[in-house]
Amino acid sequence: MRKPDGKIVLLGDMNVGKTSLLQRYMERRFPDTVSTVGGAFYLKQWRSYNISIWDTAGREQFHGLGSMYCRGAAAVILTYDVNHPQSLVELEDRFLGLTDTANTDCLFAIVGNKVDLVEDRAAEAREKEGHGPGTAGGGGGGSPQVPRQVRPEDAVALYKKILKYKMLDEKEVPAAEQMCFETSAKTGYNVDLLFEKEVPAAEQMCFETSAKTGYNVDLLFETLFDMVVPVILRQRAQGPPQTVDISSCKTPRRTRSGCCA
Amino acid sequence: MWDILKLASLRESQEPGGELCAVNICGRCGPHGRQTGMEPWLGPCYPAGWLGTQPAVSPWRAWRDAAVSLPLAGAGRASPKSGSGWREGRRSPADMMSTKAFTLVSAVEWELLAGDKERVHIECVECCGKNLYVGTGDCVVYHFLLEERALPTGTATFSATKQLHRHLGFRKPVNELRAASALNRLLVLCDNSITLVNMMSLEPVPSGARIKGAAALALNENPVNGDPFCVEVCIISVKRRTIQLFLVYEDRVQIVREVSTPEQPLAVAVDGHFLCLALTTQYIILNYNTGFSQDLFPYCSEEKRPIVKRIGRQEFLLAGPGGLGMFATVAGISQRAPVHWSENVIGAAICFPYVIALDDEFITVHSMLDQQQKQTLPFKEGHILQDFEGRVIVATSKGVYILVPLPLEKQIQDLLASHRVEEALVLAKGARRNIPKEKFQVMYRRILQQAGFIQFAQLQFLEAKELFRSGQLDVRELISLYPFLLPTSSSFTRSHPPLHEYADLNQLTQGDQEKMAKCKRFLMSYLNEVRSTEVANGYKEDIDTALLKLYAEADHDSLLDLLVTENSCLLTDSAAWLEKHNKYFALGLLYHYNNQDAAAVQLWVNIVNGDIHDSTRSDLYEYVVDFLTYSLDQELVWKYADWVLQKSEEVGVQVFTKRPLDKQQNSFNPDSVITCLKKYSKALVKYLEHLVIDRRLQKEEYHTQLALLYLDEVLRQRSGADSGAAEATEAQLKLRHLLQESDLYRVHLLIDRIRGAGLPMESAILHGKLEEHEEALRILVHELRDFPAAEDYCLWRSEGRDPPYRQRLFHTLLAMYLQPGPAAPELTVAATDLLNHHAADFDAARVLPLLPGSWSVQLLHPFLTGAVRSSVHARRTTQVALGLAKSENLIYKYDKMKLKGSSVQLSDKKVCQMCQNPFCEPVFVRYPNGGLVHTHCATSRHTNPSSPGPGART
Ligand SMILES: Nc1nc2c(ncn2[C@@H]2O[C@H](COP(=O)(O)OP(=O)(O)O)[C@@H](O)[C@H]2O)c(=O)[nH]1
Ligand SMILES: [Mg+2]
Repeated sequence: MRKPDGKIVLLGDMNVGKTSLLQRYMERRFPDTVSTVGGAFYLKQWRSYNISIWDTAGREQFHGLGSMYCRGAAAVILTYDVNHPQSLVELEDRFLGLTDTANTDCLFAIVGNKVDLVEDRAAEAREKEGHGPGTAGGGGGGSPQVPRQVRPEDAVALYKKILKYKMLDEKEVPAAEQMCFETSAKTGYNVDLLFEKEVPAAEQMCFETSAKTGYNVDLLFETLFDMVVPVILRQRAQGPPQTVDISSCKTPRRTRSGCCA
Repeated sequence: MWDILKLASLRESQEPGGELCAVNICGRCGPHGRQTGMEPWLGPCYPAGWLGTQPAVSPWRAWRDAAVSLPLAGAGRASPKSGSGWREGRRSPADMMSTKAFTLVSAVEWELLAGDKERVHIECVECCGKNLYVGTGDCVVYHFLLEERALPTGTATFSATKQLHRHLGFRKPVNELRAASALNRLLVLCDNSITLVNMMSLEPVPSGARIKGAAALALNENPVNGDPFCVEVCIISVKRRTIQLFLVYEDRVQIVREVSTPEQPLAVAVDGHFLCLALTTQYIILNYNTGFSQDLFPYCSEEKRPIVKRIGRQEFLLAGPGGLGMFATVAGISQRAPVHWSENVIGAAICFPYVIALDDEFITVHSMLDQQQKQTLPFKEGHILQDFEGRVIVATSKGVYILVPLPLEKQIQDLLASHRVEEALVLAKGARRNIPKEKFQVMYRRILQQAGFIQFAQLQFLEAKELFRSGQLDVRELISLYPFLLPTSSSFTRSHPPLHEYADLNQLTQGDQEKMAKCKRFLMSYLNEVRSTEVANGYKEDIDTALLKLYAEADHDSLLDLLVTENSCLLTDSAAWLEKHNKYFALGLLYHYNNQDAAAVQLWVNIVNGDIHDSTRSDLYEYVVDFLTYSLDQELVWKYADWVLQKSEEVGVQVFTKRPLDKQQNSFNPDSVITCLKKYSKALVKYLEHLVIDRRLQKEEYHTQLALLYLDEVLRQRSGADSGAAEATEAQLKLRHLLQESDLYRVHLLIDRIRGAGLPMESAILHGKLEEHEEALRILVHELRDFPAAEDYCLWRSEGRDPPYRQRLFHTLLAMYLQPGPAAPELTVAATDLLNHHAADFDAARVLPLLPGSWSVQLLHPFLTGAVRSSVHARRTTQVALGLAKSENLIYKYDKMKLKGSSVQLSDKKVCQMCQNPFCEPVFVRYPNGGLVHTHCATSRHTNPSSPGPGART
């Protein structure tokens, strides 16, 4: 067992599919999951680095543990279910506050999972329209009316809010709009990230996935790994790992206020 | 699996409201050095004895009776009241996959404590080496000596012998006991005061030193103070929200720090400067040196009792929400995933790699390596669970028990036995840094091998292969699973204890042919892979022989590749096997590889003859010929020469003709070969051709014989077909070619033979050989009327001779053409053609008088032009040469005149430049540079290479 070089934490409401995403990525399969208790983690060797990926429990009961899991994280994956708008709202209301303990340069990715269901529904909807317009909600086979899915723009908007929140809080980077604008024109994001303190474009950091089919799962994790590596390097350059001596670590006091409240 | 433990010796608690007591086993070896140098990431060491290999350390090798219930100390006296601390528990899902990591044995029984008292209540325990201390609710401290005894059955028992006990003089329970063996002190917390007592006598120190106002205490096992003779003690003060730190010496105490906390602390553990505190609403890490505090996570103290347990350098285990056992480092980070306990956990202990937890019904065991629950032991009314340097002690209020860890190897074996490969490997790997390297490697390798066999039995060949490879398996272990594959001579015996449970493949596959075939294919590819690696070192024979057997049985192409390349197949074993599977061709290869070419060839010959059957090669005859061709064994070649020739003369003769020439020992005596080939004329011709044409042997006999054989053939063909065939046959061409090219055959013999046979061309060649050009040309011109042949004849015969010889030949031919006769007009044309084509080969002056006057100039135009041109050319060239010679002569004359022009004076004062003597005679030599020397000196100088080149002499 080697000490990990960097940490990535999966956050999000219960049932959005965090555990499934991780298993899909690590084990290449989509098994039935049991509700995660407390947390679990995997070690992933990425290039010459060991990255630990923490799966957390979305249940309210374990909410208090989130801050500790996020402490020192190099990246946080905020996960929601594209079929449940509330799960996106929860990210902002309940989970963002937990990330205050993460590294100051922590990366954020927003992941809308279960897109496979969206596609099914879209197809279904088209079919209905074709066969009998105006009979919506009729005898279509007893499937419950589905809530409107979350649009990707909503996720991008949240991402921008996060940037804003982080920057306002830390007062050391230019305004969020400017940042997004600058970086959205860039492509070689991980290189830029290493040398300049810039944040990748919102679109780049918002994913839609399906743990069931494996859609976008590798892309998600591997994009993130690539971006975490420079963070690890930067941390190393800054001196001894912050895991040993917290007294020297100038982590700002957590603000208990919600992110954009 | 599910451990049902019954403890017969426990009694029902008679007094629920009993007094406070405490058990403590003393084990503090001193304040310093405990677990220092340990990897913070790895957690504590495996306790000694886990490997179960040193009986002295591991007297509790209770492997065999894994299912047996708790050994009873007083076995003969089963109490009817037994079972109070235990119950036959419900089955929980985790038990389905349990590991037997610990067995529970009794250490101190109620009778030992209670004596004649009616009631006793164990309040706390401390263990330090063999010293076990128990504190009770009625303010008594007991000291026991703990003896560990291995039983012949493999289990261990503990017996505690009471040393003494002391009443501390309060009416309060003993809350906590801590031993500081370096100071020989026991710290006793009772009535909010910590007293120092002698570890052996239990007498308070004379100085009466004590710490007052303590609600709870913790020792710093990673002390920051450098003094080996003091212990760092941290207390929760009775003052609100206060922690105090003390240094405790043999007979005094000294307060070093007081820290106030944001909320009331309920539990504390210390590591270095870090305090891990359970406050009223949350856990925090507090650096008492800097005052910096780090929140860990919130919990609710009203709902449950907090647990704060130091588990190793800079790492703590905490009771979290929802029954989680949370790990946290001093930096406030979790480096291990939490373990999942029940909600009502009372205590936790560590015995690497396990986390043990106690609730009111069970002891649960989780692995820190995979967070899985591994074992559940029913244990009722327990209220203390602590580990003391690897010894885990649980206690009810009535008795003290020890959780005896099963040797790690035993646990791993159990996992393997239930085919839980992953877990077994994780457990084994987890031990890597806790076991001496060599020992670990041996153990781990064996586990990998066993795991490999488990995967193998499940036909998970990829996984199996990887495990065999990393486990450096002796391949023969695998081979030996397959019946009859190992050579009978192999010295191999399976390792003991066995790496798997299978007698052989039949048992493993239960006769399933398809599985069997898969296994065989796997072994084939595996052996093929490893045979050239170092894995094969030392038993190449076994591997190659097994591989050969597999290939032969499966009719696999690689069988032949194996045999024709370097291999170590054992002869007797392989031969029998190949024979059994009718692989005779391969068997031949095997014989050949083992230098038994005679046997090999005999076998192949038998196949070709149809005596035995093996269709491996359809071209086996050619193969045998080829084999003999390259064989160095002449005897063998002779032995089968007749056989190969009888099959096919042309192919068979190759054994003599295609032999590589470079090797001396490889060449046969041509005469013996010829004798042998007497019966096979075609073969003989081929062989002679080989000698004469390929090897250019200059021996008259071969040439003559070959020519005669050709001639025979020509004549034979002649007699068959009608004799006037215009086209020369192939045999004829060969004959002519030989007659022309060779100078060695006996010309006269052939002329005699050929006479009257109607072979004019051949006769012409033979006459030509005898320089009888007139006759030869006569035949060509008059008999054959083959003018181009006549022309060619002149060219052939004059090849390499001087031009006059050639001219003579052409003139002879021309003369023959110009002879008057019946065929004159035809010959005339030939003559003009000859002249026109070979103008340069004639002397025009001699030709012109011969020509009939009637011929037109036009007819001979090319000849005449050529003749005139060459004549003019010759004249002009001569003139040029003459002119050049003249001018050269002129140059020499000029030089001579110049040299004569100057005079040389010779007097007796002049000396020879070489010998420096005066000239005594008027004869001298003068060099172009003017130097004068004696004639004899000049002569000797000529022979001296170092002197300058000679000049002109006068
Ligand atoms: N259709 C679909 N179902 C998913 C997907 N990801 C997760 N699920 C299901 O959602 C449920 C909750 O998943 P889980 O991974 O336990 O969520 P977590 O609580 O966030 O860890 C499970 O029943 C999964 O099978 C997905 O991409 N598509
Ligand atoms: Mg989960």
